[in-house]
Amino acid sequence: MESLREFHEVAQNPYRYAAELKDRGRKILGYFCSYTPEEIIYAAGLHPMRLFGSKEHIHLADKHLQSYSCSLVRSAMADVMAGSLAFLDGTVFPHTCDSIQRLSDIWRLNTNLGFFADVVLPVKLNTESAREYMIAVLARFKGELEEHFSLKITDGNLRSAIVRYNEIRGCLTSIYELHAKDPSVISGSDLYAVVRASMIMDRDDLAVKLAAVLHELKQKQGTGRNSGKRLMLVGNICDHPDIYTLIERSGAAVVWDDLCSGTRYFEGKIDPDTEPMTALANRYFTRPVCPAKHVSPFARGEHLLGQVREHRVDGVIFFQLKFCDPHSFDYPYLKEFLDRAGIPNMMLEAEDQLPPEGQLLTRFETFVAML
Amino acid sequence: MRTAGIDIGSITTKAAIVEDGRILGTMVCFSGYNASLAGTTVYRNLLDDLGFDASSIDRIISTGYGRNNVDFADKSMTEIICHGAGAHFLNPDIRTVIDIGGQDSKALVVDADGRVRDFVMNDKCAAGTGRFLEVMARALEVDLDDFGSLSLRSATPAKISSICTVFAESEVISLISKGEDRENIIAGIHDSVASRVFAMAQRVGIPVPVMMTGGVAKNIGVVKALEKKIGATLEVNEFAQVNGAIGAAVLAAKMG
Repeated sequence: MESLREFHEVAQNPYRYAAELKDRGRKILGYFCSYTPEEIIYAAGLHPMRLFGSKEHIHLADKHLQSYSCSLVRSAMADVMAGSLAFLDGTVFPHTCDSIQRLSDIWRLNTNLGFFADVVLPVKLNTESAREYMIAVLARFKGELEEHFSLKITDGNLRSAIVRYNEIRGCLTSIYELHAKDPSVISGSDLYAVVRASMIMDRDDLAVKLAAVLHELKQKQGTGRNSGKRLMLVGNICDHPDIYTLIERSGAAVVWDDLCSGTRYFEGKIDPDTEPMTALANRYFTRPVCPAKHVSPFARGEHLLGQVREHRVDGVIFFQLKFCDPHSFDYPYLKEFLDRAGIPNMMLEAEDQLPPEGQLLTRFETFVAML
Repeated sequence: MRTAGIDIGSITTKAAIVEDGRILGTMVCFSGYNASLAGTTVYRNLLDDLGFDASSIDRIISTGYGRNNVDFADKSMTEIICHGAGAHFLNPDIRTVIDIGGQDSKALVVDADGRVRDFVMNDKCAAGTGRFLEVMARALEVDLDDFGSLSLRSATPAKISSICTVFAESEVISLISKGEDRENIIAGIHDSVASRVFAMAQRVGIPVPVMMTGGVAKNIGVVKALEKKIGATLEVNEFAQVNGAIGAAVLAAKMG
């Protein structure tokens, strides 16, 4: 599809895209993790851009980080040391896992990119005090932006941001749903490029282009046939488009995911009629959680089973970047949920590079044959 | 129906021909640089050995890491599925198969029909594989075929604590220079392989009876060390190394 070309280009060369935005006078804030309150950054007229690390000079990170830090953290550190992130006007670190927090400390001491914020979100999301605290944290972040960039973020700015983000998230959800219904309408690696580019592109431009992709996919609906097995990818961040292609070569398709680079990024609408800061905070209490947050002992397992049933998933592949302790601690518990429900599952770990293709295909083909 | 299985592994290539539930013949050769050539050669040699014409074979399934290099095969399937089918064919009671090959090790659970229910695979490093043993045999100047019997003579196995093949080799060299008995070093190497494989296999639960397959099953030292860890005897038969090829031939007969 011609309309997907730009998404691929942006997904492959995010820093080139950033440099072009910068040339047009935009101020860019880099961020880690789907818990970043992007809407406030957008409301300030700044450009929020998710950092994934380019994996290009990852060895540079060894100067500051131990080998048990995940490849996302190492790669991002390496990029900033190599000067690849010089286009940033600042960086935002939400409090999620230990590694991101420590990266934040090392980043603040060793880089000089202007704005810097730790957004210290609550960990337990099931108390009323957490909600109050969350609103206060978001307000503080808003104040920090206003002070550093000498600007004022009005309720009107926030409301426009909420409308824009609801639009983008709604589009991404609809595209995912179309793909889940008929995986042949868009390939897994195309879908990957769309979601990844959505965290990089100018959001106003993105909203228009996503709507165009959705429109085009709707026309295509029902033209393809796909009798392959239906898989779900569950884990932290999937930065390896080849996984989707290899799974498709093995006779299956990833029809849904629970990834922070997938549905966890865009699930959860914001109520446009509630006071904006409260509305923003509310989304964090309703969206599916990552294992660095807590809602109830069974929330993640029940959510996973719900998704498996809703999207008629035949098998689940747990995918995670190695050394991710929140996800590793949750894995046995989630696996038990699936085992008890009779849902076949397998685990795959990767770092900045995937395991060799031959062995990966052996595992995928065997898994698909088991279903 | 007469069917063939060709298993192209990282170190050796195996072929098996099966007819109506009987194994007619098997053959092993080195894979070398050209996996496709190895597959063709081992198959031709087996046919010649048995005095069969290629046209007498009804169906062929290829397996192993080189499975897609066999252009005359009717289908390719992964070695995990084929090892499950092969073990089930040789003994339908088997529930766990531990396959240690040249470049990886696997543990799989099969059901009463020989279908794979769960599996784990070590694809991260060479420790706990046949290649690990080859490296150690070279460092110790011992023929790999003698590794098993030598290790059984050890009363106090040496401790090899490195989990990386290259560092473990350094450790072995330190033990040699300290004057440690060769038998004890080899027994220590086998314990190390067994620990790695056991740690991985635990993830599938290891229901009994357990069969060990793959080239490393020919090493009695590893088998005994693994039996001690698992706490159960391992069934090892003469077909261990060609089990994947047999499984491929068996599955070829079942193809619709």
